[in-house]
Amino acid sequence: MIEANKLTKTFRDRKRGLVRAVDRVSFNCQPGQIFGLLGANGAGKTTTLRMLGTLLEPTRGTATVAGYDVAKHPEDVRRSIGFLSNGTALYGRLTAREMLEYFGRLNGIHNSQLRSRVDELIEQLEIGEFQNGRCDKLSTGQKQRVSIARSIIHRPPVMIFDEPTTGLDVMTSQTIMNFIERCRDDGLTVVFSTHIMSEVERLCDEVAIVHHGKIATEGTVSEIKAQTGEDVLENAFLKIAHQLDAQAEAELTR
Amino acid sequence: MSLTKVIFLKELRETLRDKRVILGVIISPLLLTPALMGAIMFFGSKKAVEQQQATLDVGIYQEAAFPELTNHIESNEKLEVTRYDSREDAIQAIRDYKARAVVAIPHNARIVFQSNGTAPIEIIYDQANENSGNAHNRLRGLLNQFNREQTENRLTASSLDPSFIKPTEIKSTSIAEKSAVVGFALSMFLPYIVIMGAAFGGLNTAFDLCAGEKERGTMETLLVSPASRTQIVSGKLYTIFVISLISSICSILGIVLALSFGGQIIETIFGEIPQISYTNLAALVVIVIPLALLSSAALLIVSAFARNQKEAQAYIFPFVAVFLFPAALSFVFGAESPLYTGLIPVLNIALSMKQLLSNAFDLPFFSVALASSLAYAWASIKLTANLFQRETILFRS
Repeated sequence: MIEANKLTKTFRDRKRGLVRAVDRVSFNCQPGQIFGLLGANGAGKTTTLRMLGTLLEPTRGTATVAGYDVAKHPEDVRRSIGFLSNGTALYGRLTAREMLEYFGRLNGIHNSQLRSRVDELIEQLEIGEFQNGRCDKLSTGQKQRVSIARSIIHRPPVMIFDEPTTGLDVMTSQTIMNFIERCRDDGLTVVFSTHIMSEVERLCDEVAIVHHGKIATEGTVSEIKAQTGEDVLENAFLKIAHQLDAQAEAELTR
Repeated sequence: MSLTKVIFLKELRETLRDKRVILGVIISPLLLTPALMGAIMFFGSKKAVEQQQATLDVGIYQEAAFPELTNHIESNEKLEVTRYDSREDAIQAIRDYKARAVVAIPHNARIVFQSNGTAPIEIIYDQANENSGNAHNRLRGLLNQFNREQTENRLTASSLDPSFIKPTEIKSTSIAEKSAVVGFALSMFLPYIVIMGAAFGGLNTAFDLCAGEKERGTMETLLVSPASRTQIVSGKLYTIFVISLISSICSILGIVLALSFGGQIIETIFGEIPQISYTNLAALVVIVIPLALLSSAALLIVSAFARNQKEAQAYIFPFVAVFLFPAALSFVFGAESPLYTGLIPVLNIALSMKQLLSNAFDLPFFSVALASSLAYAWASIKLTANLFQRETILFRS
């Protein structure tokens, strides 16, 4: 499971001074559940996920992933997560099989088990036909399948998806969304960031709307709609965002 | 298998599949460098022979007859002599490439010559024209020969022995073996080429392994794996180091090949076919190791700092200066340089190579150079590892 407790990330920007990219973000995500972070570009979703993935160190606050503290046991955290973002992030000059073997070894899978695990994923994700093709020669859909296999090669209990469908065609997006659903069905803890409302409605058991680094509201999609009095999630999201912007402006003029 | 080794082996495999690296690190130094050096030596020696043997068009402009001198010039079979009536015509002929150089004889020259004085003779030529310069040198040689002959005639006429104007006979005896002379000549340019190989051989690899990974998004995937930042930076650094070392060794082998195939040409220049002993070759490789480490770490710093490969290319100019300037300084410093130069990075490696090649090996200097280079390499590696811990560097946007 994932527990984020007042996660905060600030950084210094030459033009804007001290920027609070993530401001006291707290949420819980249980195994077998998909927790969504919904927000516009620059809202702080990626920074939050990078803190959970131990790529960035929180300025304040704490988080535990699969029982490990992100600040105290980063390597254990990384061993427990699969991370998939919008880019396929494959090594062009490696073959699909070599790519999987590489990440298997990085995740500590012993050589004796590595071959069978790679074969299993190749069969499961239908990579067989192009397993010996160089990654830079594969189609986007094929790359995405290799990327998925890469993220789960070590059977992580937690999956983190950072806008995984951005820039992908409908078919490839469907593959990703089916994969996210399967992760939940397999009992994994899933955190998923997006700005696409339809994906949230289809996938998320719980969602947090992130705006200017803060969680504006949190609940199921139905609860958020009811809370705002809107039937469409997009309208609910916009209503919350506008309210927060108006509040912020009023505070500034006060 | 340690994660550093896993990363190193993967990076090396991927790098060796990069055609740019194969071309720049192996094919170019092993084939192109010897071919280019061979071509330069071939055409250089061919031109030198041609210049010595070619018949040159020269001219004579005389305000008064000086048959002793003009006959001496005209009797030379390798000169095609044309007479000019005025100085202006002579200069115009040089400008029109009809004459390469002209000997101008003033009206009083013969009178002065016959009265045992020093006759003023002028050679008019175009210093900006290589062929004209060669003709000038040929004519000057011919006039010097005329002077020697006439001096002897004057001494004989005065019943004096030629030794009268030559109080001493100077003879130079070099104790250096011919191989050492050839080694000295090699030491002038070989360190520069090897340093360039070490410094720039790993350039494409370094940019690909860090700035390139950031650009393609694979860096994030790698950082989120269980490998620690130190393991990642070590794996990448070892890869760049191996490529830099291969590049340096190929540069050395390329020169050895050039010397083997161009031996005949070099023999005509130095009088001996040059050979580098296996011991010296091994010593060259040893001394280049810390340099390859230093340049690999420096390249990785540049690559880590850049957001993409294009930006890394922009940062390369200061790096080039840092390595090129000390390497170029090795042309100025002799092999017997003061001990403190052993502390100057890159230059110390170049000077150690010079010493090895010209049989001027100096153990204290070599030790200082090796130790200080290893220290600089260690500091650079620490700095690189430190940069990899900094979010502001790895996630610059």
